[in-house]
Amino acid sequence: MRILVIEDEQKVSALIKRGLISERYAVDVAADGIEGLDLVQAYPYDLMILDLMLPRLTGAEVLQRVRRKNTFLPVLVLTARDSIEDKVKLFELGADDYLTKPFAFAELLMRVKALLRRGPVNRSSTLRVGELELDRLTQQVRRAGRRIELTAKEYALLEYFMQNEERVLSRNMIIEHVWDQSFDGITNIVDVYVRHLRSKVDDGNLFKMIRTVRGTGYTIRSENET
Amino acid sequence: MKRNSLRARVTTFYVGMLAVALLVFSAAVYFGVKAFLTRSLERMLSNNAHSIVSDYLVPLDQKGEPWLVTEMTESYPPGYSEAFVRVSKGPRILYQSGDMRDPFVSTSKVPLPWNQKWFNTFHRETATSGQRIVLYTVPYQAPDGSIIFVETGSTIEPIRHVLRSLLLILCLATPIILVAAAIGGYLLMSRPLRPVVVLTEQAEHVGRKELGERLPIIPTGDELERLSLALNRMIERLETALTHNHRFSADASHELRTPLTIIRGELESLIQMPSLPTVVMEGIGSALEESNRMAKIVNSLMTISRLDCGGEQIEHAPVDLVEVVAVTLDHMSLLAEEKHISLRFDAGAPIYVTGDSMRLKQIVVNLIDNAIKYTPDGGDVGVSVTAEQKKAILKVSDTGIGIPAVSLPLVFNRFYRADQARSRESGGTGLGLSIVKAICDVHEGEAFVESIDGRGTTFRIELPLLSLTATQVVQLRAATFVEISPNGAAKSPGTKKAVSTRTS
Repeated sequence: MRILVIEDEQKVSALIKRGLISERYAVDVAADGIEGLDLVQAYPYDLMILDLMLPRLTGAEVLQRVRRKNTFLPVLVLTARDSIEDKVKLFELGADDYLTKPFAFAELLMRVKALLRRGPVNRSSTLRVGELELDRLTQQVRRAGRRIELTAKEYALLEYFMQNEERVLSRNMIIEHVWDQSFDGITNIVDVYVRHLRSKVDDGNLFKMIRTVRGTGYTIRSENET
Repeated sequence: MKRNSLRARVTTFYVGMLAVALLVFSAAVYFGVKAFLTRSLERMLSNNAHSIVSDYLVPLDQKGEPWLVTEMTESYPPGYSEAFVRVSKGPRILYQSGDMRDPFVSTSKVPLPWNQKWFNTFHRETATSGQRIVLYTVPYQAPDGSIIFVETGSTIEPIRHVLRSLLLILCLATPIILVAAAIGGYLLMSRPLRPVVVLTEQAEHVGRKELGERLPIIPTGDELERLSLALNRMIERLETALTHNHRFSADASHELRTPLTIIRGELESLIQMPSLPTVVMEGIGSALEESNRMAKIVNSLMTISRLDCGGEQIEHAPVDLVEVVAVTLDHMSLLAEEKHISLRFDAGAPIYVTGDSMRLKQIVVNLIDNAIKYTPDGGDVGVSVTAEQKKAILKVSDTGIGIPAVSLPLVFNRFYRADQARSRESGGTGLGLSIVKAICDVHEGEAFVESIDGRGTTFRIELPLLSLTATQVVQLRAATFVEISPNGAAKSPGTKKAVSTRTS
């Protein structure tokens, strides 16, 4: 998989490049719009990560020109603005997803993976992580066969965790998926809900499935993979 | 009228001036007329007396006394209405015009001129009928050496009568003129003052929402025009300063985003390195947490700046405030539960306002988060939505630590913390209430707070009420249902309107 990163802030692009390479992607970096446009026309990329504020040619223009020729290339836009109309405009221009700075690399990685996967999303009615089982039809959760009673929010939270097994989910990602943006500013809502979920899922078990990743967020993992 | 209004003051002042002027004028007229009338009367009397001397007394020697009586009777017949004439020689009266008629003045008892001081001057007597009369006496020395007195006199009643009338006119006219001037002036003042009234109203308006408006220029070319121009320039300077301020926080938060991304990314990649010493892990973790908080502050600041300078486009759709509160409470119930706080909301009929549901939700989220944060374990948080006249009122009250009275006016300020240590420790950004205020402002609403230190706080949000007919409500509910349902993650199944927490 080959990814093109068009970002003029050298440190940011280096960071993304380093992170993506360690995930075994091939990464090219362009520092401005023209260079990026040249590269995207020269090589068949699987994904493009595009910063909006670029010298010489703005991100929006790059996106427009790319879309004229290549309609299938998934594009993830990095932006420093996050007003709703900006986002709507981005999608109109042909972006597939966006990420607002400052972002957590875990989140970038997740979105990259989601864009590359495109389609075969796990929509089966039962989610499984180790001995934990979640039935979407009956909304029942069992760990090692023992039934766990969850409230609606806890259920939504656990479903999101289990869909993203082994991935670190930042508080921001969790808020966006389980609540919505208006809960962003408030203090510890995610922590409280995760704590409750964890006590229901992990209490009485030796292996703790829901883990805290300090400073980043939470992740769920199964025993047999460690 | 208000005692302190400029209009009343100006009117009072000039009516006062007018009164003084009128008084002086009246006095001048009165005394002038009096002097003039008296003098003319006196001149007439003295002329008469001297002409009698020259016409009748000088030729008396040749013509004899009977001639005098005849001539005098002809010129000054008895009962001559205006004047009194008497010619006497010693105690003997040669001729006397009789009593005056119309008005009747009895002159028969007027004493003969015995006092030398009276000669060639005027003196006054009281007639037997009571009127005052003025007399002029001329002594004439006949060739035989005897002295003949000629007296002319007249009542001063007509003069007194005229003066009385004049006084009456002046006394009546002055207050009438003053009242008329006061009323007229007061009404007249409203014309030049109207621009000031308009200016005042407009000035009240400017700055309520934003400083984009300007005052009307009063094109009079006078002080008022200069005032309106000066005020406008002041507003412009204020606007520039304010825009700079907003620009600055928008730019600053914008510029901070890239470095924050880098810091975060570097720390994240560091923390993933295998076999790090615990101290290093701790340090990086802590730095990451702080960078997250900084990101949160930057985001909030950005939100406020956008709302403040109108850069953020907000939706204008009918929103059921009751529904917004119910859904939000459902999402936050665990926060209250964890502190054993009872979170009450009695959902009633829908109450609609016009606005952006996400933003309105943020108000509810921030206020409830705040209430829970500052209420000790086992307390109460009550939420209510009511409609009152043309306002929809959202109230969030808690039984928390309260806010000291001195801090109350400041709680909506950016980065203001009533209790420094406490709020920082609970991880707030210090911007939650500023966001509430900013959202209220763009919705043309108002935010109020009241609090009793140590007993609890109540936040009241007033938004313009949207009155809808029953059919509109039905249509709206059908529309919102379709709109909301695809967002399955945000709205969990089985959302209940009334939220009460279980006490565990």
